Amino acid sequence: MEEFIQATAFGLLIGGVYALFASGLTLIFGVMKVINIAHGALLILGAFIAFTLWDQFGIDPLLSILIVTPLMFVLGGVIYVGTVRPLRDAPLSSTVLLTFGLALVFEAIMGLVWGNNSNSARPSYFNQSYDLLGITLPKAQVFACAIAIVVLVALWMFLSRTWTGRAIRASSTNAQGASLVGVNIAGVSALTFAVGVATVGAAGSMVSVLYPFLPGSHYIWIARVLSIIVLGGLGSLQGAVIGALILGLAEVYTQTYISTAWATAVPYVVIFLVLFFRPQGLMGTRLREDVAV
Amino acid sequence: MGSSLRSGAKRSFAALGLLLAAIVFAIGCGSDSGGGGDDGDGTITIGASLPLTGEFSQPGKAAQQGYEVWVDMINENGGLLDQDVELIVKDDASDQNTVVADYNALIQRDQVDLLLGTFSSLLNLPASAAAERNRMLYIEPAGGAPEIFARDFQYGPFFTQQATADKQGDLFAEYILNLPEDQQPKTVAYATLDDPFTVPVVDALKEKFEAAGIETVYDEIYPISTSNFDTIASEATQDSPDMLINGSQFDDGIGFSRSLEKVGYDPPIFFQTNAPSFGEQYSDGIGEENTEEVFFAISHVPDASTPGNEEFVQAYKDKFNGEEPPEDAADAYAAGQVLQAAVEGVGSIDDQLALADWLRENEVETILGPLQWEDSGAPIGEFLIGQWQDGQAEIVLPPDAATSDEVIIDGQAMPNDE
Repeated sequence: MEEFIQATAFGLLIGGVYALFASGLTLIFGVMKVINIAHGALLILGAFIAFTLWDQFGIDPLLSILIVTPLMFVLGGVIYVGTVRPLRDAPLSSTVLLTFGLALVFEAIMGLVWGNNSNSARPSYFNQSYDLLGITLPKAQVFACAIAIVVLVALWMFLSRTWTGRAIRASSTNAQGASLVGVNIAGVSALTFAVGVATVGAAGSMVSVLYPFLPGSHYIWIARVLSIIVLGGLGSLQGAVIGALILGLAEVYTQTYISTAWATAVPYVVIFLVLFFRPQGLMGTRLREDVAV
Repeated sequence: MGSSLRSGAKRSFAALGLLLAAIVFAIGCGSDSGGGGDDGDGTITIGASLPLTGEFSQPGKAAQQGYEVWVDMINENGGLLDQDVELIVKDDASDQNTVVADYNALIQRDQVDLLLGTFSSLLNLPASAAAERNRMLYIEPAGGAPEIFARDFQYGPFFTQQATADKQGDLFAEYILNLPEDQQPKTVAYATLDDPFTVPVVDALKEKFEAAGIETVYDEIYPISTSNFDTIASEATQDSPDMLINGSQFDDGIGFSRSLEKVGYDPPIFFQTNAPSFGEQYSDGIGEENTEEVFFAISHVPDASTPGNEEFVQAYKDKFNGEEPPEDAADAYAAGQVLQAAVEGVGSIDDQLALADWLRENEVETILGPLQWEDSGAPIGEFLIGQWQDGQAEIVLPPDAATSDEVIIDGQAMPNDE
């Protein structure tokens, strides 16, 4: 029983952080129908910035979220204006290729600036844990998960309690309808892209403490994060949270009860089975395409 | 946001299909970071593909720098067969398909005169097959999986380290099994990356320890995409093993060590492949205070007294901002030395099989020490065993190559010649 509780604790802590990793991606898809393949590279970029702030100025990587997030918000806006906006009305495939190209560019830039060395920040708590009745709770995971919850709740409040957030949700649900009632779709898209990149910046700060990373690490993360949002339902924030928790738990349960060798395969089998019975994902909704588009 | 699958499943899946294709393309596309393939009068072109991006980019970059230093030094000393050497390096993105495409392109399109190998057993397995098909000598600096040498190839691969992966831990195992009875470990846990280099290292250690009656309490292989090690560390240390063996490359080795700290377990004896040999990068990754007593196998140390090593270390520092050369750079440099010895020994580059046969019959002096090979290209020798002591990576075995005269087991200093 203790082993099960330990595994569940690890899975939930990992899943909570995964949820923040995925939130920006699903938000951007929800509003703009852009699958941002550069999301993983931006995650690693956030990690590099947080690592540098820790390494050069001693700023705690988790506190550096307060610096990294605004920086990434601005970067998101610049990326949108410079590259995504001109292709806003292009087919989905064009933006997939565009953002994939951006991922490669960011990987190359990170390699030039920081080199191809593996990095990971070591704040005082990086190797410490809480012991709760025999259950180990790594402090870094606990702090990161708590911050992820705060950021996700703030994001949800922003989306549900503010006019701007409602405009984003309206644009996500029905862009033409939103436009008819006066929502500036172009402005909402720019804001959404910037917010999505800002959230991945916050997530990157967590990566800098939780995992070793180098410029090429983004391939692993984009695959995982895409799986989460497909499982949860493309465009659904709640779905991303649920998908992330399921993936985190599935990884850990597989490591504990089946084999570590299957830890990255079994969760994808779970995703396959879910999509087999519910192709729109757990929280996605099927709509008629002629009406929806 | 919950009802936002507006573009419909078809478009989403089409996009995901494109995405998958794009990722496959990303993994598959290499880039040429070298010069052209002009092998006109007075120039010998040497081609290599290295993982300059992707999972193995860290050691791949180091290997590139080792090759570059060798080329600089050989050109400064009159070249190879009195001709300048030009190096063409392609990026295989740590991908097995790309590395084959790269070597085919180097041979057929760039028409290089000679080849040098890539990094890691994973990539050298297919790359050496491409060289063999094209009847080109293949010398590789990092690829010690035994299966690489079990294919009866004629043109290599010649591995330019002291021993193959299955022999990497020999001296370590021998030392542990010769400890006094009351200090010998009774239980051992194994956590191994699924990689053609790390698995043979751990399998060979396991065979020796099992034969000696040391009980295995945990034995798992984890895939290369593993990023969370907390659960693995927790499971591996559940029975408080006396000895922990982690077959790892760099990133996963760092991740595993950090997770060991998180679950609060300090194994009395801890052997890790690869990661601890990265010197400062290892201590930066896990914290210097956490490196203490970690054992590892290593092929080269900067202060080795081998012929030419001092010049190599100085040239590397001069070229790369005073950095000490990492092990992978030294291994690549040694590969260049072996290629040079074969070419100068034969006196021509026209007959690549003659070059291979020359290596089968001769010993080559390198910065790693003298190297010799079996007919298969597998080296005949033994790795050095290192241990982190007081924040420094020291060589502890064999005693005649040691930089420290003691081995520390669970806080107790022991002579290294027991």
